[in-house]
Amino acid sequence: MNTGLSLIFMLAPALVVILVLFAGGLALGFSQSLGYMPIIGAYGFNLDAYLQLIKSPGFVPSLLLTIFISVLATLLAVVLAVATALTLRKRFVGKKIVSFLYQFPLTVPHLVVAVGVLLLVSQSGLMARAAFQVGLISDPAQFPILVFDDLGIGVILVYVWKEVPFIGLIALAVLQSMGNDYEEQARTLGANSWQTFRHVLLPLIIPGILPGSIIIFAYVFSSFEVPFLLGKSYPAMLSVLSYRLYTDVDLDARPQAMAMSILIAVFVLILVLFYRRLSQRILRRSG
Amino acid sequence: MTRKSIIILVLAALVASGLWAGGKQEQSLPFEQRYQSMSWEQIVDEAGGQKLYWYMWGGSDLINKFVNGYVAERLKNEYDITLEMVPVTDAATFINKVLGEKQARRDSGGSVDMMWINGENFRTTRDADLLFGPYADKLPHMQYIDSTDSSISNDFGFPVEGYESPYGSAQVVMVYDSARVPEPPRKIEDLLDWIRANPGKFTYPAIPDFTGSVFVRHLFYHVAGGYEQLLGSFDQELFDRIAPKLWQLLNELEPYLWREGNTYPETHTLLQDLFANGEVYFDVTYNPSEAASLVSQGRYPESARTFVFDSGTIGNTHYVAISYNSSSKAAAMVLANLLLDPATQYEKSRPEVWGDLTVLSVGSLPRQWREKFGAVPRPPSVLSPDELSSHKIPELQAAWLDAIEKGWTENVLQK
Repeated sequence: MNTGLSLIFMLAPALVVILVLFAGGLALGFSQSLGYMPIIGAYGFNLDAYLQLIKSPGFVPSLLLTIFISVLATLLAVVLAVATALTLRKRFVGKKIVSFLYQFPLTVPHLVVAVGVLLLVSQSGLMARAAFQVGLISDPAQFPILVFDDLGIGVILVYVWKEVPFIGLIALAVLQSMGNDYEEQARTLGANSWQTFRHVLLPLIIPGILPGSIIIFAYVFSSFEVPFLLGKSYPAMLSVLSYRLYTDVDLDARPQAMAMSILIAVFVLILVLFYRRLSQRILRRSG
Repeated sequence: MTRKSIIILVLAALVASGLWAGGKQEQSLPFEQRYQSMSWEQIVDEAGGQKLYWYMWGGSDLINKFVNGYVAERLKNEYDITLEMVPVTDAATFINKVLGEKQARRDSGGSVDMMWINGENFRTTRDADLLFGPYADKLPHMQYIDSTDSSISNDFGFPVEGYESPYGSAQVVMVYDSARVPEPPRKIEDLLDWIRANPGKFTYPAIPDFTGSVFVRHLFYHVAGGYEQLLGSFDQELFDRIAPKLWQLLNELEPYLWREGNTYPETHTLLQDLFANGEVYFDVTYNPSEAASLVSQGRYPESARTFVFDSGTIGNTHYVAISYNSSSKAAAMVLANLLLDPATQYEKSRPEVWGDLTVLSVGSLPRQWREKFGAVPRPPSVLSPDELSSHKIPELQAAWLDAIEKGWTENVLQK
C-alpha cells in the first residue's frame, strides 16, 4: 500500500467528523438561510432573510457593539497577559502560589464566571451590599452600573478574567524558551528596559500570542452565554440576536436566524484576516 | 495500516449494519398504530420499564423538586418507569430539537418524549406535526376535567383535540412588599401613576420571556378598553388601531422604569432576584402562590403580598404533550394520567410544594378529595381561590401574542 492512501485512512476518522458535522451543519444552515425549509413548506432560494436582517433596525447597533466588545476584550486580555507574563517569569517568593492563582481562571467555565460577576457587581450584588453597609450608598440604584450596561463592561470583564491566563501562559512559554540571552545582549548594547521590551522581547512574543489572540477574538465575537447573562436587552450582541431568532415561536423567523449565524461566521472570517494582516504589519515594523 | 486490517474494518462495518437492519425488522407494530385499540391496563403494562425524558421549563427550584421527587418516585414505584427531567429555559429549545429530528427523518427513538407546553408553542408543534395523538381521551383521569370548559379544551384559542393533556392552571398575580408599598395600586391606571411617582422601582422581564409578555398583554387590554373585543381570531386592523397607543404608553413609561428602561431583566428569574434584593418593589408572576414559596425559602421578605388588578388578571392552562417520535409513548401517557391524579394535583397545589392551581373540576371529585382541596392551607401572601377566579380573564389567541411580542421588540425595546 502506498503512503498516500494510508495517510488518508489515518486521517479519515477526524476528517469525517469535521466534514459531516461542521461542513454538513454549515451547508444545512446556509440552505435554511436562503429560505429552503421543506418542513414548513418553504422551498425558496433567495436572499430575503439576509436583506430583512440587515435592514432590521437592531442589526447595525448589534454589529457595532459586538465588534467593540470583542476588540476591546481581546486587546485588554493581550496587554494584561504580556504584562503579567513578563512579571511571572522572574523569580520571587510565593511564585508557585501566584502561578497557581494565575492559571486558575482557565479551569472555570465562562457560564460560572458570568454568574459570579453578576452576584458580585450587580447593583444589588455583594460589592453593592458592602458599599451599603459602610454607608457609601443608600439605595441599590446608586451603585455604578457594571452589568447590563451600554458598553458591555460586565461582559468584557468576564472575558478578560478568563482569557488573560490563556494568552499569558503562551507568552510565558515563549519567554522561558528563549532564556535571557537576547535581553542581556540588548542591555549590553545599551538599550534601556523599554527599548529592550519594545524591540527585542515583543517581536519575539508576538508570533506566539497572535494565534491565541485570534482564537479569543473569534470566540468572543460569536459566543453566546456571557452576553446573554450580562448584556443589555438592546442592543444585544449578534449571538444573542441569533439565539432569539432561533427560538422565535414563529418558524418563519428561522431563515433569519440561520442568516445571522452565517453572517457571524463571515464577519469573524473577514475580521480575522484583517487582524492578521494588521498584526503582521506591526510585526514587520517592530522587527 | 495494512490491507488486511482495512478488510477487517470493512467487514466489521458490514456485519454491524446488517445486525442493525435485522434488529429493526424484528420490532412489532409501532405503538401509535396500536394504542387506540388497547385498554388502559395494556398501556400501563407496556409502559413498565420504559425510560421517559420530560423536557420542561426548569426555572423554578420548587417545580424541579416536585417533578424529580414526588412524580419521579411514584412513576418508579407504581409503574416501574424511569423519569429523566430535562430542564430548559424556553419551550422553543425542545421544539427545535424535535423539529430538527423530524427534518433529519429520525421518526422513532427521539430524544424528547414528553414536553410541558402551551399557547403559541402548542400551535407551532401542531403546525409542524410534531405531536403524538390524539391521546388525552384514553387517560382515565380525564373524567375529572370539565370537558365543557373552553379555557381547557382550547389552548390560547387553539383547539386541543387530544394532542395535549392539561395538568395545571395558572393566573397572573402582582407581588409587592407590604413593608415598602403599604397600599398597592389595584387599578392599572394607579400602577402607572405609582411607577411615574417612584422612578426606578418597577420593571418587567423582556419579551419573549412569557411573564414579560403577559404583563404587556395586561396593558394591551388596558389601552384597548377591555379584552372583550379582542377575543376571536387576529384582526390586523383592530391591532393597528390599538397597538400604537400601547407603544406610546410603554415608551413614555420607560424613563421611570428600573435602569430608566435602558435594559430589561432577560428572564423572570432575574426579576425575582431584583425584587428579592429590593432593587424593584413589584414582581409579576403566573403562579399565585410562588411568592409564598419564596417567603418560606427566605428569599422573599415575610411582608411580601400579592394582588390582582380590579380589571382582572390573565389565567391559562398548562399542558403536557408527547412527541411524535418518542419511543416511550406508553410511559408518557401514564405520566400524563398520573399528573391528573387527584393525589398528584393535591400535592402540587400545596404552596410549600409548588402551589399550582388544580386543573381538575373539584366538584366532580370523590368527597374525600373535595374536602382535602377545600382545606389546602393558605399563607397570607396567597389570594383566596374565589378572589382569583372572580378576577380571571382570558388569554388571546396566539396570533395576537405574536403581533404584540414582535411589536414590543420593534417599537419599545429598539426605540
